[in-house]
Amino acid sequence: MSVGQVIERICSEKRHIMKKTLIKMGALFLAGGVTLAAQATTPEEDRAAFTSHYKFRFTDVPVEEYANGAYAIDKIGRENWEAIEEFPPYEPFIDEGQEMWETPFANGKTYKDCFPDGPGVKGQYPRWDKKQGMVITLPLAINQCREANGEKALKYKKGPIVPLLAYMAFESRGQITNVVIPEDDPRAMEAYEAGKRFYFTRRGQLNFSCATCHVQNTGLKVRTEVLSMSVGHTTHWPVYRSKWGTAGTLHRRFSGCNNNIRAKALQAQGEQYRNLEYFLTYLSNGLALNGPGARK
Amino acid sequence: MQTKRLLSVLLLAVTFVAGTGTALAADAKAESPKAVQAQQEIDKADKARKMAASVDSEWTTTGKLIKKAQAALKQGDYDTAIRLAKQAGEQGVIAYEQGASQKELRIPSYLKY
Repeated sequence: MSVGQVIERICSEKRHIMKKTLIKMGALFLAGGVTLAAQATTPEEDRAAFTSHYKFRFTDVPVEEYANGAYAIDKIGRENWEAIEEFPPYEPFIDEGQEMWETPFANGKTYKDCFPDGPGVKGQYPRWDKKQGMVITLPLAINQCREANGEKALKYKKGPIVPLLAYMAFESRGQITNVVIPEDDPRAMEAYEAGKRFYFTRRGQLNFSCATCHVQNTGLKVRTEVLSMSVGHTTHWPVYRSKWGTAGTLHRRFSGCNNNIRAKALQAQGEQYRNLEYFLTYLSNGLALNGPGARK
Repeated sequence: MQTKRLLSVLLLAVTFVAGTGTALAADAKAESPKAVQAQQEIDKADKARKMAASVDSEWTTTGKLIKKAQAALKQGDYDTAIRLAKQAGEQGVIAYEQGASQKELRIPSYLKY
């Protein structure tokens, strides 16, 4: 079958599925309501399953150590990391971020007007915003603040947003990750589930999912890198990566992971990555924030 | 004076012949059945790539192959263009099926609840 025929077949199947779905929706509407598909597992069950999986694999490693990523399970990597942390490469970013935080916008207002509890507010993100009907991450909140005050939005992967995030993360150190999925808005659970589905979806030419590396093969090596646990993935951002030669954001890392498996990266701070962050951060509930971080 | 005019006429004639020749060659290029086939394969591959992207499943390799196929077509290397475009098209179809077949969440068996 040629590519053209396959495309035609797929289009025809899509039309057929759409027709069937509309008929089903009509039937449900006539029956007097729409029933939601039963949740196979709750977020707490997910978190427990992930944690017990890692506990089983790394019996001697306390769960609090997961916040240090691969360095919780990679002895040699940890020695190097601890040496690097004596003169942290992310320190200039914190200083620059503080300056940004304190510099007023053109209208005279500051970030403090948007984040009254700031700068240490990282523990409040990501969070579900009922009014906007979406997951709001800290970088997104920063740009919403800037735009509301007549400033240009910053790029999400690298550049000026990173120092600001580094300063806010530094001021948030020690806060406990506590992502809440509000029960009064089913869209929040849908976002969490979408993030979870993203995590388990195989993609790219290598046909890997996030779980392939970070659940199935945690502790094994990809070239020289030890694969880390997903519990703890979100505690230490932004990160100074030696490979980058600079600091970058969590969504830059998501893009890098996708590219590594030859999947085209999605938009930073787009819906898919924000939902993924929502799911991943929930898995780290109970762990202390320790950003900004340094990684190989 | 006469020599100058003669030279001008000669120059014009040469330019005309050369121009016509290039135009004819370009026409031949455009009308070559292989060129048409290559363009068709590239279009199909791009359609397949976009379908994969519609389910967030595009591969990084597909767009690159299409660009290479386009470059080969431009250079008149139709066989290479066709081969690369076909490869990209197949990738697009597989990537779409990869994404579309995983709409339902499937937790791997190694993660015990």
